[in-house]
Amino acid sequence: MAARRTRGMTGPDVSRSTVARAVSIAEQLRYECSILLELYREKESFTADVLVDGRLVSVAPPSSQLDTRDKLWRLHSALMQCRSLLERAIAREEEELGGGKKGDYETQRKMVKDRLSYLLICTGELLKTAGGAALLTPSLEGLELDGPTALFELKLWVYRIFKEVDYWTKTAITTLEALPSVIAKERVMTSRVRTTRSTRR
Amino acid sequence: MPHLSVNPSSKPNCSTVWLISVLLGLLAVHTNANDVLTVPQQVSLSTNMDSQQLSISWLAGAATTFDLMILRTELNENVFYETVSVMVSQLSGRHEWNWTSVEPLQCTSLSIKIRSREGQSTSEWSNTEILQGSDLPSEEECQVFPLDRVVPVGANTTFCCIVKEGNQFGSINYGKTVMNTTRLSRRSYATTVVNQGLSGSSGTNVVCYNNFKGTENGVVVFVGYPPLPSDFVCETHDLTSADIYFELVTEPKKECRVDHWEGNWTLVVVNPLGQYSLTDSAELSHRVTPVAPENLTSVAHATNATVLWQWKYDGYSSLALVCQVELTSQGYKTNHTFSGVGLRAVVLPDLYPYEDYSVQVRCGAQQNFWKWGSWSETMSFKTSSIVPEAPDMWVWMNKDYTGQVIWKPLTRRQSRGLMTGYEVTLWSPEESLQHTEILPPDTFAVPVNLTQMATASSDNMVMATAVYTDSGFFLFWQSDVNTTCAYVVEWHNASCKWNCPVDWIKVAPGNTNVSIESANFQPGVRYDFSLYSSSSEAPELLQRWQGYMQELANLSDPGSRSYTVKSLSEGSYKFTVKAYTSAGEDTGATASIMLEPFTDWLILEILASLGVTALFLVIVTFLCYKKRKWVKKAFYPDIPEPKLPGDWSRSQAPLDVKPPHHSLVHMVERPEWDSSKEALVVIPEEDEDEDGQGIGDELVDTDEPTSLRYYNQVVDERPIRPRYPDSSDSSASSLDSARTDVTYTGIQTSGSSFVFQLDPQGSSEGHQPQADPSSVQEEGEVTGPRCNLESLVMTRAQRHPILFQSPRLLVATNPRAPGKWTPRWTMGKVAAVHPLLVPPPQLLPLSSSSLMERIIQRRNDSPHHQQQHG
Repeated sequence: MAARRTRGMTGPDVSRSTVARAVSIAEQLRYECSILLELYREKESFTADVLVDGRLVSVAPPSSQLDTRDKLWRLHSALMQCRSLLERAIAREEEELGGGKKGDYETQRKMVKDRLSYLLICTGELLKTAGGAALLTPSLEGLELDGPTALFELKLWVYRIFKEVDYWTKTAITTLEALPSVIAKERVMTSRVRTTRSTRR
Repeated sequence: MPHLSVNPSSKPNCSTVWLISVLLGLLAVHTNANDVLTVPQQVSLSTNMDSQQLSISWLAGAATTFDLMILRTELNENVFYETVSVMVSQLSGRHEWNWTSVEPLQCTSLSIKIRSREGQSTSEWSNTEILQGSDLPSEEECQVFPLDRVVPVGANTTFCCIVKEGNQFGSINYGKTVMNTTRLSRRSYATTVVNQGLSGSSGTNVVCYNNFKGTENGVVVFVGYPPLPSDFVCETHDLTSADIYFELVTEPKKECRVDHWEGNWTLVVVNPLGQYSLTDSAELSHRVTPVAPENLTSVAHATNATVLWQWKYDGYSSLALVCQVELTSQGYKTNHTFSGVGLRAVVLPDLYPYEDYSVQVRCGAQQNFWKWGSWSETMSFKTSSIVPEAPDMWVWMNKDYTGQVIWKPLTRRQSRGLMTGYEVTLWSPEESLQHTEILPPDTFAVPVNLTQMATASSDNMVMATAVYTDSGFFLFWQSDVNTTCAYVVEWHNASCKWNCPVDWIKVAPGNTNVSIESANFQPGVRYDFSLYSSSSEAPELLQRWQGYMQELANLSDPGSRSYTVKSLSEGSYKFTVKAYTSAGEDTGATASIMLEPFTDWLILEILASLGVTALFLVIVTFLCYKKRKWVKKAFYPDIPEPKLPGDWSRSQAPLDVKPPHHSLVHMVERPEWDSSKEALVVIPEEDEDEDGQGIGDELVDTDEPTSLRYYNQVVDERPIRPRYPDSSDSSASSLDSARTDVTYTGIQTSGSSFVFQLDPQGSSEGHQPQADPSSVQEEGEVTGPRCNLESLVMTRAQRHPILFQSPRLLVATNPRAPGKWTPRWTMGKVAAVHPLLVPPPQLLPLSSSSLMERIIQRRNDSPHHQQQHG
């Protein structure tokens, strides 16, 4: 089934099951991200007023002109940057602010990082399926991985990274769900069948 | 040119001499002062930002006393102005003085100037030296100081925020707390946190917000303790190196390794708040904690097993060890201890055959034992099987010499392996003929027929009675002194005569009694017990007993057909009747009955109770009627005439009250609260609009304090009515008000006086006391008097005067949002509570905060409130 392809898509076909898995992981990541943000705000007594403007991840702007492969490439690249930033944020946090006993926050942080890695594997597979296998790994050059030195600014930077992961997780869900995959068609088909059945009743 | 001459003959001019002397003296003093009071020169500044210390040095000759003045440059505020004594430094030849600032030195620019002082004389001020702060226009970004500081618990720290150029300051938050701030300069604001509490591992954030609640910047402060390590100990596992352990209060146990055993160690734990040292010293042989044995193996036999293991380090081969072996079988653990040099194998004796065991081992140094090492991993083995134990067998014989050989099943441990079958051999001592039968392992009886082999024997032994006790049937017999045989006690249901399911127990030689307990014993069943001698010879019947575990009713008359059981309590019973013959009893017939309570008595009891209650009520009613005057006096006394300051009550005049801003408040007790309809009404002072135009207008919050008028008034039976500008109606209300008993003694606040003024003119300003119920419907502002005033008393039951004294609190309604609340704490204002939120008046505690919470709680709980919003 995984090898089934659909016709008439913009760009190469993508695996239905891989897309479904990626969406599922991204939704789980979104949930875990929201908890992580909540834990961080609670830990740092941040209010919703704490401003963390500006994007840290740098990718090409979204466009309806992008085909499936390019959309996946953009998403994959952004998620890779997210993971690099997240890994660096965790390292900096441990280095500058860690040392105490580990609690829920640290557990959640690791969970988000691991989940993001799973999502990256999925998007990598999708990218490969979509014909992007020959492409190089997205570059992380230019990514500001060092972060600030002042502790409060470091905390804001970490918070920005978490928000960035959250943002790109939501973007991943949107992007993946919008892929012209078998899923979407089958969902439509399923709903049509249901409608037909209910009409017959 | 003046000529000064002395004429001895002439009389001296005393005043001239005195004047000259004074002038000379002043000249001398002035000359001297000019020599000492040098104006300080070359004032220079140096700073230590971490300690917030400012070092000032200057040149001032021999002067030792100086006036120092430090100002905040922008606002020209005095920070420090004192006279200090400063000696010249031998090293630098300059006067040096240090000053520690409460605020970080970056917060704002400081101006420093110095002058010399000698008594009351001072020099000119030195040139002003300015220490530049970080709030210069050239540094546009927001900054917070001090940056990432570490302070001990309980410290006080002053933080300052320099807002971004062009932004307006909002607040400084310490953690979640919004702090009070003071302004240091155009852009700089400071706050002091006192008695700082322990912060989390990532510190406490001090965040500066602008007036749009946007984050400007922040710093992190770590509040903690100096280090306090504990449990510092060094030990060896490999007999060479030292493993060092210690604990810190807030962190997991720490450990480190030193390659060689030094014998003496000092642990120094340092953090920015201090340091702490611990020492430990010991010989290596006193601190051996062996590693866990590795690679456990076993050689298992039927009743013993050898457990072997290996050591990770060669040095263990010469180390005297004591080892614990924990053996687990069927959930039970047993420990065996062994010792030896380089111990690496032990034999575990007394094991059960064909049994599963698991084992783990740990060891310690036999000499100078320090600690047990870690347990090894668990290793399992199974002992081998051997021949089973002999079964416990018995023979049951019927009257006709048929019978059965029976034996008890072997337990798992008695079988010592998997049972494959039983072998039963039957033979006669007189004959060499043997009959052997192999039986499967689930067989526990085999029939025998001895009619050809047996000889008749009498069985007319007298039956004794077996008594059942808590420990079972107690059987006792006389022992033959010369006999040392063992015994067998056999028992079975006495009614059984053929191939009975018999049970037995073996009694060791020398015993003459036994208590027989069995879960199979049942009440009402008679059991036969037989005592046999057990020897190599055939068992010989020695004695017989009969007994009941619980003997039931026994009807001796065979002709009886009834039996009465008395004194039974309520409940269900079963009766079983069995017929006896000389051969025994039958299985019996059973009948069940249920004893129920006598319900008629219950009905009678209820009727009697009702009758007594009715009689009591009649008596009480009669007494009340007879003593009705006393009852009225006791419970409904006439309300005395009030003592009013002045004659206002008769003048039907309103009370004019000038509440502060934003307190357009209407207070009316809700009619349904009090059947007497006596209530306090407060209406806003309305604009002098003769046409009454302003009355129907929506009330607005104005800056001008609006007079409130409090009328003691009887509210009529009608529901709350619209507000009427009609003066006659107001007058009527005013008239009514004159009849009630209300005393106002004024309201005072700590900061201001708030007095109810009597207005003898009453309607002099065109305001008439009036019930103004329209505000309820339209604005939702009519309230019952509900203030947390220190002595606000309004007890409906007493209808006593309402006293307003020392108001502490207050919450004002928002006239622009009827039905909604804008709770505010305002000193000296009337507390008006939304009418639909207010339960009947009651005394409230004086805690303003708790009152606030309660009001909000009541507001949330009140169904009226919900309706209002709905």
